[in-house]
Amino acid sequence: MTQKPAALVIGAGIAGIQAALDIADAGFPVYLVEREPSVGGRMAQLDKTFPTLDCSSCILTPKMVSVGQHPNIELLTYSEVVAVEGEAGGFRVTIKKKPRYVEEEICRGCGLCAEACRMHGRVVDVFNQGLGKRAAIYVPFPQAVPLVYTVDPTACLYLTRGVCGKTFKCQDACPTGAINFEQKERFTEVDVAAVIVATGFDLIDPRTKPEFGYGVYPNVITGLEFERLSSASGPTSGKIVLNGKEPRDAVFIHCVGSRDPHTGAPYCSRICCMYTAKHAHLVRDKLPNARITVFYIDMRAFGKGYEEFYDRVKEERVIYRRGEPSEVYRRGDRLVVRAEDSLLGRTVEVEADLVVLATAVVPRADTPAVAKLLGLSLSPDGFFLEAHPKYRPVETARPGVFLAGCCQGPKDIPDTVAQAKAAAASALVVLHQAIAK
Amino acid sequence: MAAMEPRPRIGVYICHCGTNIAATVDVAAVTEFAAALPGVVVARNYTYMCSEPGQALIKEDARTLGLNRVVVASCSPRMHEPTFRAASQEGGVNPYQFEMANIREQCSWVHHDRYEATEKAKALVYAAVMKAARLEPLEEREAPVTPGALIIGGGVAGMVAALDIADAGFPVHLVEKSDHLGGRVAELNRTFPDLEPVAEWLPALVDRVQRHPNITVYLNSRVTEITGFVGNFEATVEPVGLGLAPVKMKIGAIIIAAGYNVFDPRQKPEFGYGVYPQVVTTLELEGRLAAGDLRVDGKTPQDVVFIKCVGSRDKQLGRPYCSRVCCMISAKQAQLVRQALPDARVTVFYMDVRTFGKRGEEFYDEARRAGVRYRRGNVSEIYRRGDRVVVRVEDTLLGRTLEHEADLVVLAVGMEPRPEVADIAALLKLPRSADGFFLEAHPKLRPVDTAVDGVFLAGCCQSPKDIPDTVAQAKAAAASALIPLMRGVVPMEAATAIVDPELCAGCGMCVEICPFGAPALDPFWGVSRVNAVLCKGCGACAVTCPSKAIRLQHFTPDQILAQVEALVGW
Repeated sequence: MTQKPAALVIGAGIAGIQAALDIADAGFPVYLVEREPSVGGRMAQLDKTFPTLDCSSCILTPKMVSVGQHPNIELLTYSEVVAVEGEAGGFRVTIKKKPRYVEEEICRGCGLCAEACRMHGRVVDVFNQGLGKRAAIYVPFPQAVPLVYTVDPTACLYLTRGVCGKTFKCQDACPTGAINFEQKERFTEVDVAAVIVATGFDLIDPRTKPEFGYGVYPNVITGLEFERLSSASGPTSGKIVLNGKEPRDAVFIHCVGSRDPHTGAPYCSRICCMYTAKHAHLVRDKLPNARITVFYIDMRAFGKGYEEFYDRVKEERVIYRRGEPSEVYRRGDRLVVRAEDSLLGRTVEVEADLVVLATAVVPRADTPAVAKLLGLSLSPDGFFLEAHPKYRPVETARPGVFLAGCCQGPKDIPDTVAQAKAAAASALVVLHQAIAK
Repeated sequence: MAAMEPRPRIGVYICHCGTNIAATVDVAAVTEFAAALPGVVVARNYTYMCSEPGQALIKEDARTLGLNRVVVASCSPRMHEPTFRAASQEGGVNPYQFEMANIREQCSWVHHDRYEATEKAKALVYAAVMKAARLEPLEEREAPVTPGALIIGGGVAGMVAALDIADAGFPVHLVEKSDHLGGRVAELNRTFPDLEPVAEWLPALVDRVQRHPNITVYLNSRVTEITGFVGNFEATVEPVGLGLAPVKMKIGAIIIAAGYNVFDPRQKPEFGYGVYPQVVTTLELEGRLAAGDLRVDGKTPQDVVFIKCVGSRDKQLGRPYCSRVCCMISAKQAQLVRQALPDARVTVFYMDVRTFGKRGEEFYDEARRAGVRYRRGNVSEIYRRGDRVVVRVEDTLLGRTLEHEADLVVLAVGMEPRPEVADIAALLKLPRSADGFFLEAHPKLRPVDTAVDGVFLAGCCQSPKDIPDTVAQAKAAAASALIPLMRGVVPMEAATAIVDPELCAGCGMCVEICPFGAPALDPFWGVSRVNAVLCKGCGACAVTCPSKAIRLQHFTPDQILAQVEALVGW
């Protein structure tokens, strides 16, 4: 009996994880390729999820563990797809495995190397949105899958300067001898019948809206930074503390970059209204006496149970003001958010010591390159273009290549999961037909 | 019995869950306590037991220390019981000799006092260890799957799901209540945001379904009975009013794509729907736009008003939810009215504009550029003035009440569950959410699965959604259905009920109480027997049996009493 045809899933956020699990559960081999050292994607960075306030990692971790253990899934983390040739039913894919400088099979994830690293506590922690520091050898977060350390080539003293003292402290500390600076990038080729693209999204740099003072005032943060601040496993263990102080006045600003033709994101980012409502709830929960104000243009609570959640948050002494803030500026040691309140028809000023910007969901910077690699088209908004906006939302113009999650356009977790499963269904049809041939 | 088995060798693992547990419970103290309990060979604590190294601890101890029981004190078994059962099994421990103590949801998350929370965690661990010592090994079994699916509803959701399953090589029975396929979308003229005629793609979709060799379409039909379980359902489909015999079919999976109803605006009498001919619904306007005739009483309207959220976001009506499509439908119809009547004034009254989908915001911008006027306001009533109607509205941006004369008022009516949803829910014992739509298994990560294995949801019967989201969800339901169909087997419950024929009096109370039809009276011996394939291990029969002849495996009286004694004696 010949081996069953396989599928390739690019990106192991919740979309890629779900698509890979469905295909693998149906009995087909899956290559799940992730560029970062761990699977999990954006969802792993979130604190709680709306509207049920489930802890994000609590519902994600079981799925991450499943893809790590599934007999039908070959996980290729810290890897990138560099070539895709062929057609539906017979693609040949080249995958580049980047050097971790740690042997995956030997590392036990104990973390002694990171404690020993000379850069310990000195490297900006990207997973925590720069709110914390880590070592040059790291796992992005404790629940990482696979739980294998990676040497950050941009921070490691040896890899950047060619020298790290007399001996490598990490190698000396490693009890299993897993660290290997001789590792080189490797290339593997795999044959697959179908491809699912689940490469996710980025958030707009809020400095494109300089009037909000992000990067100038340390109390102005993004929604994703707030997630790490609020997360029990984040750098403050879940305490809402900025510069050593608990905020008394929190202001949330919707549509930072979204619905804005000047920033190149004229579209709605679809998730910000709800995650801001959740953030407001979390602030209320942790700081019962804080004054919380949300500035919005239109409140878009459209999903199942969302309007009900918005109603609940409004009843938790959260002030919703309809209006677009024009600027954030400093007054003494506090900030002032100046906005045109469109219901009152006048300009208002709200003092704040925490300003959270709900930044736009934007395509990943390398989307055009990925599109070229896979032979896909982009829509005017820069996301991948589906075959038909109404009845073929996960297919692309290239047969056998399907889209899942936010790489096709912004969407929340349930819609991402539904779309990922939809892409899996399309892939399963191709896999079935590849057997029949 | 116990004497025959090897002595319990129990491993206990206490999870910190980051700080979720460790911040409130002294995990080191609980570990020390557990290590001293009878039968416990090893007790450890770890940051995240569910992580790979956490699970590796269990596997390695099980092998090197010869464990035959595992206890994990962490979160709810709803979360990670499958994870730790699998880890136990990989370490050579029977997965049914694993027990979980919930010290997060039932302890650290609900208590603040560190001392008391720690004492409670110890009690929960003690009870779990006592039960674990008495757990018996059980075998996991598999049942074959009937290749084929039943889909209820022949709208876009049902058809798209049917095509994926049929294209993957399985027979599909597609049951539609009306005399045609296409559902609500067949009533539409053009779709947002490209104003594409539905006729460009829907007939082709219907045609492909009708011609597909793997799809059997049952029009004018209803599903009247469903029995069985995942992989092995049997359904009865009855043609309505044609005098034809019912059809019985065996299938492995079921997808419900029963669609939605539109809100009847007569429930808001202040809008005068059904009284004034000038007041129509968005669905009615769809037909008029298709026919190219927007006249009211023979007159071409000069002023057209759209009112959003009619029957949505309305707590008084018991419809607190957003219907998700009305903002885009209004933007579409307003543009089409502008095209058809270039001289007419077109105004949309809204609460919030929710144009969130791909190209949605751009489409809303196009509507405004095309001259559609958006005013934020709550409409309080509509009344007649001469041969026109007056829309009375509180403009929330101007902060005052306006009267707007109109010749045509379009009510953007929301979605509601169909009344048939109750019948289908009863057939399958499916739960519904507070809004009346079908309830998914998990709002974030299992949006198309239900509480009943093998039964999946597609489209607006789960909650309002637009066409692309419906198609994605329908294909998602197809993926869920394809998993058991393609695998050909489904795992069966191991913790089933067993009848002791010596004790059974044959009263039949278990037969009556069982929701799954598992027990039946043996006609020769007159005693009850439980069909292990149908049994879900709910235990209803065991507690009902007056002779105590039924024993639910994995929840036997001595196991539960040991647990209770541990807690009470604490």
